Amino acid sequence: MISNERCFDKFEPLPRIIYHADFDTGYNGFTETIGNYEGTLDEIIPEMADFRPPQLSNRPMWDTGTAGSLDGTYALKLATRPRKGSVAVCTKRLTWTKLCRIRMETWFGYKSEASELRLSETDVRGFGFLLDLQDDRLRMLPRVRYLNARNGEKIGKWQVKVDKPAKRDIGTRGETVSINHYADEGYADIPNGQHEMCGNELASKMNWHYLAVTFNLETMRFETVRCNDIVMDAGMLAPFEIPIMPNLRGLLNTIFFVETDVDKRAFLYFDSILYSTEG
Amino acid sequence: MRESYTAAVERNVVLTADFASEPYEAAWADEAIFFIRVLDPKPRGKLRFTAEISPDGMRWCPEGTVCELSEGETLGFLRLKHFGGWLRIRRLDRIKATPKVIVYLNLK
Repeated sequence: MISNERCFDKFEPLPRIIYHADFDTGYNGFTETIGNYEGTLDEIIPEMADFRPPQLSNRPMWDTGTAGSLDGTYALKLATRPRKGSVAVCTKRLTWTKLCRIRMETWFGYKSEASELRLSETDVRGFGFLLDLQDDRLRMLPRVRYLNARNGEKIGKWQVKVDKPAKRDIGTRGETVSINHYADEGYADIPNGQHEMCGNELASKMNWHYLAVTFNLETMRFETVRCNDIVMDAGMLAPFEIPIMPNLRGLLNTIFFVETDVDKRAFLYFDSILYSTEG
Repeated sequence: MRESYTAAVERNVVLTADFASEPYEAAWADEAIFFIRVLDPKPRGKLRFTAEISPDGMRWCPEGTVCELSEGETLGFLRLKHFGGWLRIRRLDRIKATPKVIVYLNLK
């Protein structure tokens, strides 16, 4: 195990740290996500049946060998299939202890698989972070996404999903419903949320970026989304709500995802993730 | 505490004739076991799989370990050591069957 006494210097957490996932110490409880089902896996909404298991990566590149992580060797990695529209998702499941301000911070990077000798900067469609939560009032899946590119065109802007996806019945017992909230639709742009990331010249090079997302569980709105020096106010965008469901009170899942826009694997890496709350 | 992890590298996928599982990074682990669970329909004939290793996750060579599942068997495994940074499995047999399978990779 590699310990790093200065690990918190690279974060700006709220007063109460709930978890610090340094992936040099393991998977830290991040697991694959899939859609709901009742009697058989065949009932999962097809678009949600294959969100891929997370991996621990030392970020090996075919030309330069191991790149490592920001302050060690291993990073958590999400990898899509090499199929346009494929999405990879990982989750850490917990519950909230107080309806207050919360903050998710991470040092992250993204790239497509370096299978071609070109920069490939429009291969990754986007990546993002969401919460899956429920209190006594509502269920909500608030998410922010960086839309990197679509159909070969660089875009580079942050968004919040505002349109409610349709509910779909699955199975035959009537115990479970499902919604495909990962579809590439229903987003609104965060004002002044357009900026470029550091892509760095070669498909095999990747630079770490800082992301901090602050959400208020009392008002159920995002507050700020910060990426490096860019600070965005997302408070005017209302994430979609859905009615509360049985047996979910207290739910708070912290979830990350990446989408590919071409028939090539998209990778999203995390050096570390820090989740903190105001109380 | 020793790190360990089970990844469902394929779940409910159709086992096509040229099937290879998605690449999985395993540089941190000393040992690995692939479990192959046959769901449905149960194939007539013997299924064969080999493990493959890779320097970069894109170019692959056989590791040498082979798993055979006789007719009626629904669970088999490939036990691996000293595999470098990447792992996947590939189907070897040529029987005319395309059952659905789950492939687990257990690392520690």
